[in-house]
Amino acid sequence: MHTLVQAVILGVLTGGVYALMASGQTLIFGIMRVINLAQGAMVVLSAYLSCTLFTTAGIDPFLTILLLAPLMFLLGVVVHRVFLRPLKAGDGELSLMVMFAVALAVEGVLAATYKTTYRSINATYRDESLELAGYHLSVTRLAAFGLSLAVLGGLWVLLHRTRFGASIRATVQNPTAARLLGVDPDRVSALGFGLGAATAGAAGAVFGLVYPFNSASHYDLIARLLAIVVLGGLGSLGGAVAASILMGVAESVVAATWSPAWASATFFVALLLVLLVRPRGLFGAQLRGAL
Amino acid sequence: MDGNRLSGEAVQLLFRERRRRRLLAALAAVAVSMSLAACGPATAGPDAGGDAAAKDTLTVGVSLSLTGDFADPGKAAKRGYDLWASDVNERGGVLGRKVVLKIVDDTSNPNQVTTNYTNLITKDKVDLVFGPFSSLLSIPASQVAKRYGYAFLEPAGGGPKVFEQRLDNLFFVQPASIVRQGDIFADYLLKLPADQRPKTAAYAALDDPFAAPLAENLRKRLEAAGIRTVYSETYPDSLTDLTPVIAKVAAGKPDLVVSGTQSEDAYAQVKAMKQLKFSPKWLFMSNGANNPVEFPDKVGSNNVNGIFTTGDWFAGSKQPGAAEFVKAYLAKYGGEETGIDTTSAEAYSVGVLVEQVAKKTGKADNATIVKTLHSGTWTTPIGDLSWDAYGEPQSNYTLVQWQNRRLTPVFPAEVAAVQPLTSKPAWGK
Repeated sequence: MHTLVQAVILGVLTGGVYALMASGQTLIFGIMRVINLAQGAMVVLSAYLSCTLFTTAGIDPFLTILLLAPLMFLLGVVVHRVFLRPLKAGDGELSLMVMFAVALAVEGVLAATYKTTYRSINATYRDESLELAGYHLSVTRLAAFGLSLAVLGGLWVLLHRTRFGASIRATVQNPTAARLLGVDPDRVSALGFGLGAATAGAAGAVFGLVYPFNSASHYDLIARLLAIVVLGGLGSLGGAVAASILMGVAESVVAATWSPAWASATFFVALLLVLLVRPRGLFGAQLRGAL
Repeated sequence: MDGNRLSGEAVQLLFRERRRRRLLAALAAVAVSMSLAACGPATAGPDAGGDAAAKDTLTVGVSLSLTGDFADPGKAAKRGYDLWASDVNERGGVLGRKVVLKIVDDTSNPNQVTTNYTNLITKDKVDLVFGPFSSLLSIPASQVAKRYGYAFLEPAGGGPKVFEQRLDNLFFVQPASIVRQGDIFADYLLKLPADQRPKTAAYAALDDPFAAPLAENLRKRLEAAGIRTVYSETYPDSLTDLTPVIAKVAAGKPDLVVSGTQSEDAYAQVKAMKQLKFSPKWLFMSNGANNPVEFPDKVGSNNVNGIFTTGDWFAGSKQPGAAEFVKAYLAKYGGEETGIDTTSAEAYSVGVLVEQVAKKTGKADNATIVKTLHSGTWTTPIGDLSWDAYGEPQSNYTLVQWQNRRLTPVFPAEVAAVQPLTSKPAWGK
């Protein structure tokens, strides 16, 4: 029983880390219907940058987020401007390929710059943990979880309480009507894409603290992120959070109580089963635009 | 010992391939949910080489991974080979013949390695070949060598599949095959008085052909001696977070934890144990923990003390020839003794063996090397080596333990620098 509860705690905290990464992914899909295959590569890129800032300038990894989120936002806007905007609206397959190409390009540059050896951000508090009623909570993951909640809360406020958020939601629900009301869909898309990239920037530092990574880590990452957003329902922020935590807990509990070999597979099997009965995912709306 | 770590990296190549495949599977899932409907060398060379003009030199062909995934260990091997060549030439060469190395890059690619050895043998007509880095590359390379009747001494390719080829020209230049590199730990435990041995043990190993069988070997021997198993599982490479696994291990409260690890997973296990505040009385880790520089760097130098691992060459080794190797290495490359990669020592030992055969027989041709190395025991800086008919080494690794933040030999007694600690200090001590 103790092991099970400990595993659930670990899983929830891990889920928080993934929720942060998946929120950007689902946001971008909600706004643009683009599956951003480069989200994982952007996370890994920010993990490297955070690692570099930490080792060379001694900046705490969590503080690097203040630099990396705006930087990745800009990168996102540039990627959108250069690669996505020229595509015809609704050209889903092509944008998929373009973003995959961006991911491979980022991987290539990282491999050339940093080599392929695994890195990790070795902050002094990295392996500290709090003990609560006999259960152990990793300090890093707890902080990551908190950060994730804060970012997701911020995103929610942005979407539901600001004019910009209203224009995003309007674009999501009906691009033509939004345009008639004076919303510039290109601008909304660019800013939305930037926002998604910025969450990758925030997630990178956390990812680098929790997991070892190299330039090829984005394959595993994007596979999980896609699975999360599909399970949660493409475009659904709440769904992404729920699916992240579900994945974290499923993996952790299976690894701790049954067999580590089945830990990752269990989640992917669960994903397929959910899609069989509910093809739009847990929280996905039939029409796009469930934000 | 780097051989297995890096053969592990060879395996990572395959894992990466698997990750790509998983990505494709995930993409397929997306497609479903979106309902997107659209969505061999023929030329024969001479048996052993050289035209008349080349008789005052002994050319040795090597393919090494100077770029690609094995670039770091590949370069370490190159330093070992280069060092031996310059050393032996200073001593007057092999039987008076100056050693000339011809080293080509295989970009860590098994196809390229085949091409390289074929070219070295048939076009460059080298006299001898030395092995590349890792099991992944040694297997195809050894087959080329066998085809042309060349001896194949290799410093880093000790996976089970290497010996399953049953090649009589192959010699793995390390004291033990990879899956047997943990056996010395069992020897040590079972030599302790029964009341001082651990009573229970947990085994957590990476599911790869190098790490898991090593832990499995230990489990069988310790179980046979009455040490009860409370946990035994392998975990896949895709499971980067090992905290849940270690949570289960800790729940069994074992006296001993045997970790069949490669590198990243070794660091992840230590991190998880630390986070869960679980410090077993005994902790043995196969790979990762044997890296004198990376391990303390990755897990924190105050978390290494008391951890057991194994090694063939290590800083301060008392093995005959080891001190000379270190001296020559530092003179040629600079740096510190603890920074010398074991792969360099292993590659250097390949050359030492050829030199010894030449000294003993007065010849340095392939047939003589193969025949001579199959009998007797050979002293090298990495240990006294002997082989079975298919090149699997028959000696043992040395048991080393982290003490005072240094890898220190502790067993067997002949090479031990200090007594082993029989109770691991808590994390951070």
